[in-house]
Amino acid sequence: MTKKGAFQDLCNGIFPGDRTIFRPILMHFIARYAGGNYARFASDYRFLVEANLLALEDFDLDMVGLISDPYRETSAFGARIEFIPEGVPRCLDLVVKTKEDVRNLARPDVFKCERTMDRIRGAELLSKLTRGNVPVIGWIEGPMAEACDLCGIEQFLMMQMMDPGTAHLLLDKCVITAKDFAGAQINAGCDVIGMGDAICSQIDPFTYETFVKERHREIISYIHTSGAKVKMHICGDITHLLPSMNDLEIDILDIDWQVNPQHAYEIMGPDVIRCGNIDPRFVMDKSPEEIYSACKLLSEKEKGRKFILSAGCEIIVTTPAENLMAMRRASLYN
Amino acid sequence: MEEILEKLAYCVEFGKINLASPYPPDMRGQDGADELTKKALEMGVPPTEVLNKGLVIGMGKVGVKFRENKVFVPQVLMSAKAMSFGMAHLKPFFNDGSVVRKGKIIIGTVEGDLHDIGKNLVAMMVEGSGWEVIDLGTDVNAGKFVAAVQANPGAVVCLSALLTTTMVNMEKIGKAVKEAVPGTIVAIGGAPVNQDFSNKIGMDVYAPDPQGLIDYLGNLN
Repeated sequence: MTKKGAFQDLCNGIFPGDRTIFRPILMHFIARYAGGNYARFASDYRFLVEANLLALEDFDLDMVGLISDPYRETSAFGARIEFIPEGVPRCLDLVVKTKEDVRNLARPDVFKCERTMDRIRGAELLSKLTRGNVPVIGWIEGPMAEACDLCGIEQFLMMQMMDPGTAHLLLDKCVITAKDFAGAQINAGCDVIGMGDAICSQIDPFTYETFVKERHREIISYIHTSGAKVKMHICGDITHLLPSMNDLEIDILDIDWQVNPQHAYEIMGPDVIRCGNIDPRFVMDKSPEEIYSACKLLSEKEKGRKFILSAGCEIIVTTPAENLMAMRRASLYN
Repeated sequence: MEEILEKLAYCVEFGKINLASPYPPDMRGQDGADELTKKALEMGVPPTEVLNKGLVIGMGKVGVKFRENKVFVPQVLMSAKAMSFGMAHLKPFFNDGSVVRKGKIIIGTVEGDLHDIGKNLVAMMVEGSGWEVIDLGTDVNAGKFVAAVQANPGAVVCLSALLTTTMVNMEKIGKAVKEAVPGTIVAIGGAPVNQDFSNKIGMDVYAPDPQGLIDYLGNLN
């Protein structure tokens, strides 16, 4: 059976007999592993694809992905981005500084911006080179994260409190672009769209429900209608948001290391695939034997449930490769 | 007198900045920390009491609620904003020495890291607890921290990082500070760090949240 077949089975509640599906978030780590740097990984889809395919081969991953950095859509909205050799790209200016800027913010054409087009081309190439045998995960910024990218975290959080009408308008514009970008990646061959909305872990359930929840639902529904699955990634502790998220029809929910997987199972229900959640620092710092034991324990606990083994968040660049291999070994049943 | 200080603390706790602020919705049309601080001073309340029995009390409650996940970042930002409006009225008293701060911290996000939300929250809340805060901003290298400590002997240095790739710079900066000004206390905080990491790199304090740092600083006095 192909890896895509195994993933489809998992989605349908048929559990692979030989493994827990394994797919950590890999960006800076695989950029360096493949002999390049983060700047190249984030700016050249050919290298991003090459790094993903190398990791697919060497770590026997069950999925590949296009995640790179938060500023693809922000660039399409007009921000200047600086690439850092060994760091996350930087956004050099805030696109939204005033209420007028929100009103005037135009819907970008994701096919005309270099950075969004780079990811779309990456989707086409990954899909072509894996010949439809491996699930390809595309990536978009969630609406709240994108709003913060456009006007700054503090500024946007304050805007929600002081000028909710403008905050809603900005979020609406972010949703349109999220759907445009997701649709383009699905048409280019993605089977799953990851939606990163990290800032949500820092807001209370009321703010989430007032500003974000229905927008998440709209994007999820659009992705489903377009023929792909949804993987929701929110860094940090989202325990307090789980009750608000459990009716969103998320297919895969990334859970960071602070979230108890059993609690997430109880709140989200058996139909949601949980993905996680070994502490990335543990994966970086501990010995392969310790990592194997922790992953084996988690994998065994989750056997017979919809689960993907991963770290809680991105694999840290300085993680030894053998530690990642230990995770893979632990996810195999025999 | 007690009543206005209680009201002031309440405004900070619930993020009521001033009369014009629409937040929180249930306090619309009421005075905020801005007007109440001004009124308290006009009534003759000693500035030290306005600070310690009004503003600091309100911010202290926010710190505890934040630690207990009863409020989140947006609410803390509103409280800090309310606090800063009140503090603006106290500035002349800080300048002439009639109100004395508990001490001084130097804070910054370490080299390579541009994230400032965590650092800003800590800065706002520590300031709200009565300390003077020197905020060096983001992407701050060892040299800038060292220069700031040399200019402010006795200040506690607080290093922030959000990324696993930049937390490693804390060790270099912390060591440079301690080498340049022996005896300087260095605290670290941020999503990727923990007590183990703090111990490993030889720092004095790991603060899991802003209130943790405030509690530690409180014990220094």
